[in-house]
Amino acid sequence: MQPLGKAASDDDRPLIERVRRGDQDAARILYERYFDRIYNYVYARLGRAEDAEDLAIDTMTRSLTRLDLFQDQGVAFSSWVYRIAHNATIDHYRRQGKAILVPLESATMPVSADPSELAVDQLSNDDLREALRALTDEQQQVLILRFFQDLSAAQAARIMGKSVGAVQALQHRALGSLERVLHGRANN
Amino acid sequence: MTPEVQRLERLAERLRSVDPVMPSPGAKIRGWNLVLAAVEQSATVRTRSHPVRRLVLAAVAAAVLLVGGAVAASADSLPDSALYPLKSVVENVRGALAFSPSDKLSYHLDLARTRLTEAEAMIARHRLDLAGQALSGLTDQLNQAALVVQAEQQIDPALAASLENRLIQAIATHDQQLAGLQGQVTNPAAVAAITQARDRAAQALQTAASPASSNGDGKPSTSPSGRGQGTGASATPHPTPKH
Repeated sequence: MQPLGKAASDDDRPLIERVRRGDQDAARILYERYFDRIYNYVYARLGRAEDAEDLAIDTMTRSLTRLDLFQDQGVAFSSWVYRIAHNATIDHYRRQGKAILVPLESATMPVSADPSELAVDQLSNDDLREALRALTDEQQQVLILRFFQDLSAAQAARIMGKSVGAVQALQHRALGSLERVLHGRANN
Repeated sequence: MTPEVQRLERLAERLRSVDPVMPSPGAKIRGWNLVLAAVEQSATVRTRSHPVRRLVLAAVAAAVLLVGGAVAASADSLPDSALYPLKSVVENVRGALAFSPSDKLSYHLDLARTRLTEAEAMIARHRLDLAGQALSGLTDQLNQAALVVQAEQQIDPALAASLENRLIQAIATHDQQLAGLQGQVTNPAAVAAITQARDRAAQALQTAASPASSNGDGKPSTSPSGRGQGTGASATPHPTPKH
């Protein structure tokens, strides 16, 4: 997955105009640019490949067919796409009636020699993903955007509609919460 | 850096190292096919919007022509025609657009002439019920015309005199036509209706000449007994125009 550069929003503008005129090649470029990222984002939230595929496709479809709703006024296309993905995820949760969480009890967690210190290097990727889904919606979102998607605090702030400072504070709290979840799981 | 911050930094670094989960190639192709279809459909809807607009405009134009044609056709319709209610609507609109006393008088006299023509046609078709309604409409219009003249007497006597003369001429003309019509019909009810119309027309002239203060309810001030005198003989002297 290629990093989403800061210049991406500038690169998107001419493509968006071409898509608005019905240019399928431009639509294909934007699809290639964002589909993997959106799939990754949604998968991190849901943990189910089938659902992640459906929501990623739905997100890209909405993004590329409802460009009449996208106003490039301080909001980058990338931020708009992430917001659509986020809303699609929330809608998915609502349709399901509750969040689909992989039970943490089923995971095996490593225990470090020092009970107060978490052996983060020994945690599997799946352990981390599953623990992350136990956090609040915003905490999940900020950690996924900042660390799984490798976005800057400013980019995450634009997507989440928050200030950079608020995102940094939220990120700090989210990491603390994740640590506690992992600790709790390790001590059980 | 505090121990807590160090722990969280390590955790953050560990999160960064999590391998991204990628969609299967099949999912990506399937997704593109679906997105492409949606993009094509979206473009089709946009291009179709022009024909839709044209269709709407054509429908509006057709409706305007249809309504306009019906309005035009209704102008000559008679009381036994399906278009006659539309004629009444158009007449009311015309009345609402008549503002000056002269225009109002012209409007009522024009409608009075129309009602008389309708009455003649209905008598010819032996539709005495409709003929009676037309004659009633005739005298109603003459009474309305008389009220216009009456109201103007307090404001502009010279104009009122001019209007009154037009009313007298119109009533005289109508009376001649009614007298001719009366001589052609044999049905007693028709004769009575015509006689009543002539009497009421003559009374309308008296209304026009009387002071406006004599009534306040918009009805002619002189003819409480003018209605229902269908005796076959005119009870009121019929007018002659002032020259």
